[in-house]
Amino acid sequence: MIEPQLFKLRVRYVKEGRLRYLAHLEVLRTVERIVRRAGLPYAVTQGFSPHMRAGFSSALPVGTGSTCEWFDLVLTDYIPADRALAALADAAPADLKPVEAGYIDMRSDALTAAITRVAYELAMQPTGACTREELQASMDKVIRQGSLSYRRGAKTKTLDIAGTLVSYTLSEADGSWLLALDTRISNEGAMRPELLLAAADALCAQPGQEPELAIGPQHYTCVAQVRICRVAQWCELKDGTLVSPLARA
Amino acid sequence: MRTIYQNRFSELEPLLEQVEKPSRYLNHEWGACHKPDAAYHVCLIYPDVYEVGLPNQGIAILYAALNKVEGIACERSYVPWVDMADAMRTHKVPLLSLEGAAPVSSFDIVGIHIPHEMACTNYLEALDLAGIPLLAADRDEDDPIVIGGGPSVYNPEPFCEFFDALLIGEGEEHIVEVCEEHRRLRDAGATRAQILEALSRIPGTYVPSYYKVSFDESCTVHGYTTPKAGRDVPAVVNKRVVEHFGDTDPLTQTIVPFAQLVHDRLSIEVLRGCARGCRFCQAGITYRPVRERTPDQVVSAVMRGLERTGYDEVSLTSLSTTDHSCCGSILTRLNRRLEDTGISVSIPSQRLDSFGVDMALEVAGEKKGGLTFAPEAGSQRLRDVINKNVTEDDLDRAARAAFAAGWRRMKLYFMMGLPTETDEDIVAIARLADHVVALGQEIVPKSQRGSVSVSISVSVFIPKAHTPFQWCGQLPDDEVRRRQQLLIHSVTSRQVRVHYHDASTSLIEAVLSRGGRDLMPVILGAWQRGARFDAWTEQFDLKRWEDAAEEAGIDLRAVAQEIFDVDEHLPWEHVSPGVTPGFLKREWRRALEGVTTSDCTRTSCTGCGICPTLGVENELVGERA
Repeated sequence: MIEPQLFKLRVRYVKEGRLRYLAHLEVLRTVERIVRRAGLPYAVTQGFSPHMRAGFSSALPVGTGSTCEWFDLVLTDYIPADRALAALADAAPADLKPVEAGYIDMRSDALTAAITRVAYELAMQPTGACTREELQASMDKVIRQGSLSYRRGAKTKTLDIAGTLVSYTLSEADGSWLLALDTRISNEGAMRPELLLAAADALCAQPGQEPELAIGPQHYTCVAQVRICRVAQWCELKDGTLVSPLARA
Repeated sequence: MRTIYQNRFSELEPLLEQVEKPSRYLNHEWGACHKPDAAYHVCLIYPDVYEVGLPNQGIAILYAALNKVEGIACERSYVPWVDMADAMRTHKVPLLSLEGAAPVSSFDIVGIHIPHEMACTNYLEALDLAGIPLLAADRDEDDPIVIGGGPSVYNPEPFCEFFDALLIGEGEEHIVEVCEEHRRLRDAGATRAQILEALSRIPGTYVPSYYKVSFDESCTVHGYTTPKAGRDVPAVVNKRVVEHFGDTDPLTQTIVPFAQLVHDRLSIEVLRGCARGCRFCQAGITYRPVRERTPDQVVSAVMRGLERTGYDEVSLTSLSTTDHSCCGSILTRLNRRLEDTGISVSIPSQRLDSFGVDMALEVAGEKKGGLTFAPEAGSQRLRDVINKNVTEDDLDRAARAAFAAGWRRMKLYFMMGLPTETDEDIVAIARLADHVVALGQEIVPKSQRGSVSVSISVSVFIPKAHTPFQWCGQLPDDEVRRRQQLLIHSVTSRQVRVHYHDASTSLIEAVLSRGGRDLMPVILGAWQRGARFDAWTEQFDLKRWEDAAEEAGIDLRAVAQEIFDVDEHLPWEHVSPGVTPGFLKREWRRALEGVTTSDCTRTSCTGCGICPTLGVENELVGERA
């Protein structure tokens, strides 16, 4: 038997509007259904329970939006990337719209290994409980600690700030504040933007008190209507250049 | 003032951060139908959480039927889980529809699905969250018309006063007639009273407020229901049956959810009705006659549905799919079409014989989880009483075939508390389970014998309206508990696992199955004490029901356990699936004699009376094996 030729399509899609409340597994299942509705010739794994050969970039927390989620899809036939993208877009809800697609080498690294840098933006409304400079000072203090401990269910975990945060800016425009984070992601760990903000917020609101951080809904004092969005995912080359997961290294 | 139909998602959105599974409340699912410009709005509510309600095929059928009508927009709503319901009450957010995120109370008609007895408190939870008066009698011109319908309407009396009208039987044509008539009258400026009167004239529509409970003739303590003096309504409301089921589109499901569902797949209804005649089974009476779709129709609907939805599983649904006269060829054709797609076919339950195993093999592929059979009773004597036409030999052959084909896990369903049941019948359940394990040990290769396992799941028999067992009382709950223990101690093999139902839940289910309008204050009282999601074991609390019953002066156990006389009037006889009382009495006598009755789709008519009463007949597309 001749080994059939396979093709790996890499697709960028958004997660926005109310669909940012989808959980990671819900997104995966929805994307698989989009692929089947699009009628693309997807490859299926062999074995007891055959399933679609697809891979995804790292999970987004419930409530976090994104302009740059990625999935890889193995196809059994070559379909021009623009045609595949159009078919996917027709089969997708607008809030999960695929926006960019291209072929990559079958042997390329999985998305979770390839992507090492992630940028976030947190848009928020100040409540008046502190000034932007005060929040920024708290932020710097939290960062100097190097790490944060937080609860996930019954477990206590550590967020490695030193290892995951590259840089940040806190700016103001039209009365809103914008926290931009440049972060690293690896098997060792990833940034949790909402926890970093919650820690700075708590330090600002109640200095001297150890904040109790936990995964789940956050209750901020100094800011309100916090909207978190993942705005970029890159592969970092050896020389430090950041390239798109679609760019040929 | 009438609530305004407008999008109020912005009030709900801040709560999404605080609740589990926010995807329950998002809407905008693929395939949802939104017609914001329609002048007439219907909201269909499934009385449980989103992931339980969305897969419901009845709602999908009605949703498609209504949205097909020009000018009518049908939206959906579900009951928010307790965390969201509490948050909505705190923040004064009313129950909203999904598609338009509009207050449910702003709709012209609100239709609540009636799936089973344990959903009663959730009708109240939904109405209360919507801000609609709980009792039909308390609603006025500004409130929507609240209708109900579904499989569990055949004793509507305990909950009927929550509804302005109940639609009895198959709803796909009926609900369209009701909505069109309502729209016409609304546009003509009719009053609520005039509207209800017009609806009561549509066949199959039961308007509870036009009937009263009577005690004039010999009857149970709950009385019987007759038309009020001066009301020109039928003494018996017969169920509706859709005309030419075989001509309707089998592909009714359009919505593909984001949330993971209880049944997360495409469902295609391949046949309707079951004539096997199990005497405990209400669906076996209320879904007759038997109507099959052709294999061509099924295969084409499956392929279209998969293309449209993107599901990776399709279920061929019905009360007993393996009874379809062309089941084998349908499965073979589908398997051929779906080869190498990773898409699987499933059938909800297996017939207990080697044909059932063959069909299970068709759908299982390489993956062999567990195989489920329902002998229902442990002894042949009791299986004859309940007319489960299955012999020990059938079970033997089925189990042998399943073990030989590679299955290692077997699940067997039984009932406890069936009429005439003795301790011997309970011990026989254990014997049967032990016997199946022994068969496994004999057939399965030596090295795999340890993996043979049999799980037996034992529910409590609930006497249901319009069945040959409708006069029976339920086994007292303490006796249920004793027999459960007897069963556990009778099993000898360590490879048998016993699961049984909670006797307290079964008690309430029996009360709501058998009672009359006198039960309404108990349901209301239980809900006022916090009862909701009673079908969820962790939410159910018997105490609330006991306290409510005490206040209402009702003895729950008496209601569940009382044996009715076959000649007295019953609380539900004014609503009918078309079966004649004479047939049910004859079946009850035959049950006591241990005489079985055959399946009219395989032999000749057995005289249930449904075909002549409703003017319908069985429609098969081939010979049944």
